[in-house]
Amino acid sequence: MLLTSVILVLREVLEAALLLSILLAMSHYLGLQMRWIFMALAGGILGSIAYGAGIGAVSEAFDGMGQELMNAAMQFAIYGLLLLVGILLIWNRTGRQQFLPLLQWSMVLAVALAALREGSEVYVYLMAFRHQADLLQSVLLGALIGGGIGFSIGALFYYLLVGLPKNRRLLVVLVLLTLVAAGLCLQATQLLEQADWLPAQVPLWDTSALLSENSLLGQLFYSLLGYEATPTRNAVTAYLGGMSLMATLLFAAWAKSRSLPEKGLNG
Amino acid sequence: MKTWFRNLAVAFIAALALASALPVNAAYPELQLEIRDHLFYPSVLKVPANTKIKLIVVNRDATPEEFESYELNREKVIMGGQKAVIFIGPLAPGEYPFFGEFNPKTAQGKVIAE
Repeated sequence: MLLTSVILVLREVLEAALLLSILLAMSHYLGLQMRWIFMALAGGILGSIAYGAGIGAVSEAFDGMGQELMNAAMQFAIYGLLLLVGILLIWNRTGRQQFLPLLQWSMVLAVALAALREGSEVYVYLMAFRHQADLLQSVLLGALIGGGIGFSIGALFYYLLVGLPKNRRLLVVLVLLTLVAAGLCLQATQLLEQADWLPAQVPLWDTSALLSENSLLGQLFYSLLGYEATPTRNAVTAYLGGMSLMATLLFAAWAKSRSLPEKGLNG
Repeated sequence: MKTWFRNLAVAFIAALALASALPVNAAYPELQLEIRDHLFYPSVLKVPANTKIKLIVVNRDATPEEFESYELNREKVIMGGQKAVIFIGPLAPGEYPFFGEFNPKTAQGKVIAE
């Protein structure tokens, strides 16, 4: 029970922890207050409980496809929020100090949504043991260890990003955000295939022998780059489409932020 | 610049609408899987290769389970006493393991496509 719960919680926490550390590194870069992180975590935890408690009802909606559709919608919503975050980061890269509340709220929502999507599964899992006092202790201990490892990897990643030279940090973060966002499009597509909302296809290739999704490295790549060992054509199209759209818009934002004079430095 | 952004957004939404309007859904072969005492019955499912399957998973336990398979790219939480529909395939001939993420030691099974 202990090991099961360590692995389960680690898997679920990793994605949100990595996203959180990328955004925290950017807050640090812009000199923003870090208070938003508490809002994001509180939102994630409360959201996990609410979604976890209601997941039975959600599942039965849309002819039994409510869970897939809800999760896919959340992935697309996080995609949109990360796009907005990227654009606002570019806009503020020369110290304009504009739209900062919007930037912070987008980060809060993105992290809270990422946390609640996976956190709800942890909640459902833990609640199943609430009447089994003999198992509960090892399950909770496992959950704590798993969560601890997940957040430690996130913290390591944060210090890695903060340690980068300042002129390269924004670029690295934008590339990472774009890859994470593309991965979300891929996952959403898989959910829509699972729900029969998109036509199913035979996978284009299989790299599971090279890097198993089941390994820790596979999980890390899954969370960070949207790694999928056996993607379908739809999934690959969604990944590339999501990536190109975001890259194009970020480039456009970069060009625009350069062409405009830096006004509004004083508010 | 603004119209360009708008055109892009319109194109994106149109593409999404088109994708969702594609003629999917038909009569797929149905297979049923049950979860009892954190075990899958049957634990080996034989399915025709290259065919989309409607998999119905009935959780007879009082506790929740998460159907999960890396090979099938599927995951779905199934609450105690609930029934879930999961579409899988079309699959190339081969073996595709699945497991219950909440009880991975006992809840193990595989789909064999042939």
